[in-house]
Amino acid sequence: MSISEPRLTEIRTQLKAAIDDGDKDRGVQLAANALAEGITPLEFFLDAIQPVLYEIGEAFARLEIFLPELMRAGMVVKALHEQVLEPATLRTPSAATMRAGVVITGTCQGDIHDIGKNMVSLMLQVNGFDVTNLGTNVAPRQFIEEARKRKADIIAMSSLLTTSMPYMRDLTELLKGWNVRDQFLVVVGGAPITEAYARKIGADGFGQDAVRAVNVCLQLMDRKRAGLPAPALSQEMLK
Amino acid sequence: MRNTTRLLDVLDRAETGPIVEEEMHDMMTIPSVMGGLLAEFDVRLPKPEEAVVLADDALADRVWEAGLKMAEQLGVFCLSTSRRILFTPDEIATALQFAPTEVTVGQGLDRATERKRRVEDTRRVFIKGGGVGTPLPEDVYLPIHQSYAQEPLIDAMINCTLETVYGREPRGRSPWEVLLGWHELELTKAACQRAGRPGLGLGCVENSVTEIAELSATSWGGFSPFDWHHVAMISEFKTDYFLLTKVAHLVKTGSIIHSFYNTIYGGTVGGKEAMAVAIVGGCILMQMVYMPATHSVSPTHPFFGNTTTPQILQAIGIAQQALARNSRLLTDVVVTPVGGPMTKTLFYEVAAQAILATVSGACALIGPRSGVGTMPGHVSGLESRWMAEVAHAAAGMSRTDADALVRQLIEKYKPDLEARPYGRHFRDAYDVERVQPKPEWLAMYEAAKNELRQLGLRL
Repeated sequence: MSISEPRLTEIRTQLKAAIDDGDKDRGVQLAANALAEGITPLEFFLDAIQPVLYEIGEAFARLEIFLPELMRAGMVVKALHEQVLEPATLRTPSAATMRAGVVITGTCQGDIHDIGKNMVSLMLQVNGFDVTNLGTNVAPRQFIEEARKRKADIIAMSSLLTTSMPYMRDLTELLKGWNVRDQFLVVVGGAPITEAYARKIGADGFGQDAVRAVNVCLQLMDRKRAGLPAPALSQEMLK
Repeated sequence: MRNTTRLLDVLDRAETGPIVEEEMHDMMTIPSVMGGLLAEFDVRLPKPEEAVVLADDALADRVWEAGLKMAEQLGVFCLSTSRRILFTPDEIATALQFAPTEVTVGQGLDRATERKRRVEDTRRVFIKGGGVGTPLPEDVYLPIHQSYAQEPLIDAMINCTLETVYGREPRGRSPWEVLLGWHELELTKAACQRAGRPGLGLGCVENSVTEIAELSATSWGGFSPFDWHHVAMISEFKTDYFLLTKVAHLVKTGSIIHSFYNTIYGGTVGGKEAMAVAIVGGCILMQMVYMPATHSVSPTHPFFGNTTTPQILQAIGIAQQALARNSRLLTDVVVTPVGGPMTKTLFYEVAAQAILATVSGACALIGPRSGVGTMPGHVSGLESRWMAEVAHAAAGMSRTDADALVRQLIEKYKPDLEARPYGRHFRDAYDVERVQPKPEWLAMYEAAKNELRQLGLRL
């Protein structure tokens, strides 16, 4: 650690305040100052951003804060990454570890439910994922094309309607048919989706709600980084 | 105010209103407008431990004023054109002035009239019984609907959805949706016929996840103009051409429109105070854009998917009071418990919400959508009977008395929600051939009834 623990605690407190206020400029300045003091971008991410975001995620899970607060947190963190951390890490091999992963999210074809999927997207974002939210009524091909374009790790699909669920299976079958199944992890969720259905269609993960969806994505990415295949979908994974 | 001229006005504005990006509408406009209004109108709700059924008329009126101003400032965002459909305060006032205060659904001897109710009204709440879109296996779709239609306290029925059609897995926005719409019609009509109530007003087309099933099944030989046809407002405050296509079709066929809006607790609008304002503003905006006869709200918990958590009940109650005191709008409440058939939790949750909605001036209760409507086949007619009986017993009760009762009920079910007691399948709860509750389920119902009597409800 290139910075003292008391100073780090102070940075975390200031960062939390900037995020709570939705003050992008203050957050960016704080990160820039910390880097100037000698903290590395990776240390700033792991020791300042992650603990603060974890706290925010937990507060949302307890419904002590709501989506607007999550949005503000997401915007500040995005600005930090884009304006300070990523430029500083372009020259180092540690840049990839600054992102938890790249995720494509969207609501399946035929379904216009939006908010739950947005909650998942924001929770992923505040947990360090690079998220592209394709919106609602997204066709399987569109998910895959965007995932290819963005070199995504995970395709996360939501459906609140039984009539949209078949499009989730279409996606896993298309991935297999195009011989790209091993390039993407597939996570599904939404009110009518069950763990059994996720297993049946060959998904890699199932998130019952926004909090659990993030945990599943984090676990899947840990395994991916360790070079391990996605585990057989099980209840154990959801704990 | 429901006519072609008004429809053209809405469609014109969807193509000429201010252009804005969806993300801006979601992330900036809504939180900003809502935050400003909560402060301006001092909308603050007490902790649920202090009161759930609020008896504060001044607060209800402030929630109304905030909701009205929200409707003026926000309008509805049209996803298809990326434009805001806006209305002036005068236009909104005129539309509200001419909104219907009663509507008759169904036909013949089975027609029934929903009327405007006020806070602490002694008149009965209109009961729209059914599983509210819960997916059902095809083989029990008919008996489950018969189990609702045969309940005499049900004034109209709300349909469920089909898991399969002719044994196939259906897809939305495809030819399957046409078949789904017609299969819904065939089976629900047959259920009503078997129950001896062939003209019962049906909440439809539940399988119309896009406009396709509505356009197809509301036609010759299909659902009638006297059924009540659903059009959703996308959360939060959004519509699109597919939904407006439904509206255009329903206006031109003279069909009764029922609009609904399910804001998400903790979502874009925020917490319970914002949810109350959003319910009011949402109903006003639906009146402007969809020209419905009736509106329903079902604010949803982001993790449980229910409407019975204390914060949501509080918001529904005060919003209903705001609408009942200040408008002519016919506003309904959807009851969505976590508990399903064969659970005690269901009885407590449904009772709490039915009492709250009834004394708060709701015009109709819809449901219950047992087991939060996601477990296939986890619904039965007995649940609607319970909802109706409790609601009718609560008519005329004071808000203060209702609050004491509701809070006792919440204490009974709150600890169980985390376990998500979705209950059992219809086949376990009912004799499917005779379409009657099994003794075990009936005994649980009788026990719950006795328990509520002991708490002071005149059941």
